Amino acid sequence: MKQIAIYGKGGIGKSTISANVAAALGERGLNTWYIGCDPKADGSMTLLGGRKIETFLERLRSSPGENRPAYVEGFNGVKCIETGGPIAGVGCAGRGIIVAVQELYKRYFADNIDVIIYDVPGDVVCGGFAAPLREKFANEVYIVTSGEYLSLYAANNIVRGLENLRVNLGGLICNSREIRNEERIVSEFARKIGSHMISFIPRDPIVRECENRGKTVIEGAPESSQASAYRRLADAILKNSDLRIPKPIDPEEIRALLRENE
Amino acid sequence: MTDVLHPRPSPIIAAMYTLRDLDVDVIVMHGPPGCGFTASRLLEEAGVTVVTTGMQENDLIFGAEQRLVEVLKKVDEEFSPKLVGVVGTCASMIIGENLDAAIKKAGIRSTVLPIDIHACAGPNTVGAIKVLEVAASKGIIPNEEFERQKEMLMRATALERERGMTSKPYLKPHRGATKLKVAKRIIEYLSQNKRIAVVLNAKKETAYRFADVMRAIEYARRRIGGYVVYVANTDPNIGLPRIRRYSMDILRDLREAGVTVDYLSGGLDEYPVAGERAAKYLEDKGIDLRVLCGLPHAIPDLRVEDILVTDQPRELRNFIDSGFTFAVGEISTHSMLMGARGIVNSELGDTIRELVDEVQT
Ligand code: SF4
Repeated sequence: MKQIAIYGKGGIGKSTISANVAAALGERGLNTWYIGCDPKADGSMTLLGGRKIETFLERLRSSPGENRPAYVEGFNGVKCIETGGPIAGVGCAGRGIIVAVQELYKRYFADNIDVIIYDVPGDVVCGGFAAPLREKFANEVYIVTSGEYLSLYAANNIVRGLENLRVNLGGLICNSREIRNEERIVSEFARKIGSHMISFIPRDPIVRECENRGKTVIEGAPESSQASAYRRLADAILKNSDLRIPKPIDPEEIRALLRENE
Repeated sequence: MTDVLHPRPSPIIAAMYTLRDLDVDVIVMHGPPGCGFTASRLLEEAGVTVVTTGMQENDLIFGAEQRLVEVLKKVDEEFSPKLVGVVGTCASMIIGENLDAAIKKAGIRSTVLPIDIHACAGPNTVGAIKVLEVAASKGIIPNEEFERQKEMLMRATALERERGMTSKPYLKPHRGATKLKVAKRIIEYLSQNKRIAVVLNAKKETAYRFADVMRAIEYARRRIGGYVVYVANTDPNIGLPRIRRYSMDILRDLREAGVTVDYLSGGLDEYPVAGERAAKYLEDKGIDLRVLCGLPHAIPDLRVEDILVTDQPRELRNFIDSGFTFAVGEISTHSMLMGARGIVNSELGDTIRELVDEVQT
């Protein structure tokens, strides 16, 4: 079973990538689970026709011990779970993730699962956000970034977390912002932290169009070149054996790298 | 489920006691210095070294992995322990401390059991189960032993919910009937030559004190006469080595006091089922008076005429309110038993002995 976690700066497109990769894996007939870890619980909407589902923690709270399946089946048979969490400004979202991930692992994840994808909110900010990285949970991580300074900076911070927790990085996914030499910048950065760029996802308005219809690109525009890009990424993840604990670099090096490629 | 308002023991404390039962040398509490303080003191009296990582505000914010690593190294240097338990606290669990990772980083020679537990985690037995589970996974106890104990602990929780201290929303502590009233009743039955059954159905070390009631009643019987059947859950072949030692100590002291146990109802960690076995055993013995010591509520079909001896003031409230006027308390039993290796006198026992001596002289 592959258990992967997708990290990256807020707003970089983690959910879009996670949902499309999940849809592409589902298309191949693999038993795929999408676990959205954002308290906003909106990452799985494109897999579910734009629908929002009852969150796992909400269920634990309102009907503990109840025995209906924890997930809602979405496009291509992808099993979707949103962990959920407190509303903004209340309680502790990190604790929510810890509890949800442990509970899911203990009670719901069985041997016949091929891939579990954790779509994790933003940066690794606390023990809770790092929960999917724990031993037994995710065993490889992908970081979504673009060639922009702030998202590389965030990626570098996540790398720091991975190094600290001794977790393997499977590679960087470049979600293009169409900046100059972007592919080169991200590949070069990946090399510097001791990893590789596993995929370059071009920017395409079709993504927003499909999202507005509550669909992944795999579902909404299956013939598009964008859909192929997601499929290629899904394949690359499946085949990936280049897993390494990365090493963060000095942010100054990121800036230098960007200046060289201006 | 009823909302229980009175304080309950926490899984953290149950975990600490279970580690003690596994004969760990050191317990490291990963949390603020005060976490588990009262229990720590008692356990130190029982020979377990308890240390804290002494988390501070900043550790809550920034994580305290490094502290734990350092404390483990220090513990290794200072005590060269064979077996160490690291117990989580609310503080460490809520912020998501990774006990496993810290233990690996410390890289010390002893076997370390990481116990991810905190006080919000459910009934206290959850803490005990967690320890046994980790111990089984590290090969400290056989898996079957883990399964057996887990079953017992789950039954204990169910018992508490049905008939014990979590069956009522609030229980105001009560000290129970006077020892004099109860002792007189026992002596009265003996002098009328009636049949008494004394059942020890106690939990682990508390048996050291409840067993004294048997010694005292035997003392009385020898002087006054009467007929007594003794049942005890002190099977020396059941449980962790430490718990078996308790059973052996008790059986030895009972033998010395001239008590022959007629029926072993189970081990000292089996009180939820041993109570049932004891009741069954006594069914056809024509018993006139039952003296039930330890955790009487684990014995099915209690009768108002039974004498119930227990140590928890809230348990006593529960009994007294349910019409058991002969419920009597051995208060603060637990704290006086730390490190005990033999039967300890009980107040009821002393009262019986005193009364008998008075009558005789
Ligand atoms: S914080 Fe938790 S572990 Fe610490 S003393 Fe309070 S209840 Fe016990």
